[in-house]
Amino acid sequence: MAATQEKPRPLIDDLTRPFWEAAREHRLVIQRCQDCRYFNHPPRSVCNACHSAALTFEPVSGRGTIYSFSVMYQPNVAGFGDELPYLNILVELEEQPQIFLVSNLSEVQREQVRIGGQVEVYFEDVDAELTLPKFRLIA
Amino acid sequence: MSWQGKGKTAIVGIGYSELSRRPQKSLGALSLDACRAALDDAGLPAEQVDGLATFPEAPFHGAGTQDGEQIVSVEYVMNHLPLAPDIRWYAQIETGLIASAVIEGVNALLAEACEYVLVWRALHNPRGRYGAWSGNRAPGDAQFMAPYGCTSIFQWHAMAWQRYMHRYGATRDHLATFVTNSRRNANLNPNAYFYTTPMTREDYFAARWIAEPLCLFDCDIPVEGCVALVLTTAERAVDRRHPPAYIAGYGQNTSRRRALFHYSLDNYMESGHSLASKLWASSDLRPQDMSAAELYDGFSPSTLYWLEAAGFCGQGEAYSFIQDGRIALEGELPVNTFGGSLSEGRLHGMGHIAEAVMQVTDRAEKRQVPSASAVCAIDGSPMLRGSGLVITREP
Ligand SMILES: [Zn+2]
Repeated sequence: MAATQEKPRPLIDDLTRPFWEAAREHRLVIQRCQDCRYFNHPPRSVCNACHSAALTFEPVSGRGTIYSFSVMYQPNVAGFGDELPYLNILVELEEQPQIFLVSNLSEVQREQVRIGGQVEVYFEDVDAELTLPKFRLIA
Repeated sequence: MSWQGKGKTAIVGIGYSELSRRPQKSLGALSLDACRAALDDAGLPAEQVDGLATFPEAPFHGAGTQDGEQIVSVEYVMNHLPLAPDIRWYAQIETGLIASAVIEGVNALLAEACEYVLVWRALHNPRGRYGAWSGNRAPGDAQFMAPYGCTSIFQWHAMAWQRYMHRYGATRDHLATFVTNSRRNANLNPNAYFYTTPMTREDYFAARWIAEPLCLFDCDIPVEGCVALVLTTAERAVDRRHPPAYIAGYGQNTSRRRALFHYSLDNYMESGHSLASKLWASSDLRPQDMSAAELYDGFSPSTLYWLEAAGFCGQGEAYSFIQDGRIALEGELPVNTFGGSLSEGRLHGMGHIAEAVMQVTDRAEKRQVPSASAVCAIDGSPMLRGSGLVITREP
């Protein structure tokens, strides 16, 4: 029996590197169009709203609301077997409608989670190379 | 004014392979079984087939693409059946699911690019856990999901349905009506994987969670097998073994999405409407004209979204619309009369098309809707991608 499997890690590419490098510094940045100000996430080479290529990363507040959530019961993803069942939330950032980040919601009972619940970002240092932005409920 | 192609093409044969979880035969061999069965059903010699179309996509990302084993391509069928020596036309599509392949075939026939088109959908059921994430490095958009354990399409459907329940007040109890109705229909469909397995509401509520709020029976049943059909022009359709099932209209999901993450519930109405409005405009028919509706159910809520987006009921009303026997075989709008993907098997919409054909040609036996004149078959999910057909008894 193998030891606990490693969870999937991001395969960071040129488009996404600024997001992950900022996360290392415990900052949440989202790619934003400099022509129409639309936030694009995941990052794109062309703005999804106006098709401009003038895209740079800007800091965001890290606050948002729970758009939806589910409780995962299947051991489909390596490294998550010990945490089953686990919560996934879809966070809609306060900066723009329909701009989403996925997170887990650790140490929270299922009953405490509701759509519309307020959350804020925190940063989980996985190891020297990787920090994951995650969200927690605002009391 | 309706579409000029209305009633000018027809489906004249349907063939099923065995549908099972772990077949003895290869997927390629099963697909040839289905193709031969469709040709036999049409009474058409293989050498008259001069057009081919399929949607060969693997059942989920990472499931393998070995031709004849895990997918069945145009090239595979071309090389393994004694078709016309000169294949005049083919298409292997990548978007829109299998109704889009039928639409391509219809267009090819209308353009006189060929005379008889064979369309099939082969579905592989990989061993191991269905939809398991295998890589430890997540590329592209998956890098923002996989590190959080959110890699499966059913997790996204679960979140969309959670949102729907929150917004409109639907409950699991409402969904149970739909799922058990589908099973009841499958119990009248000898092709169905669950033909001999009934399901009570208690069975439904006892099922294990997959991703709450979706349980095992809210997910379609993965099978390995193939369904094929033969498509030709209305003129050539009349002297075949069975009555023709005419293609009265078609549509594809063409909405633009602003949000980039997988999908949310918010655009299901506008997105599904982009398909449905083309269905109704091309066929010059309306939802009220449908004798039955075969609506994609890869996950049970998708059918409810389609009922709303296609105009069978208003937004937020589907969960109440489906109650009180309304969607039963005896009801005012029978839905998924063959059991759907939930209970017949995961064929990515091909079962829905085959059933629409069976209904309008009076071949649905114990599940026949009396004198069904028009049935729509819609593939996909309104938030993602999809395509659909209106199939009629008369041209
Ligand atoms: Zn822009």
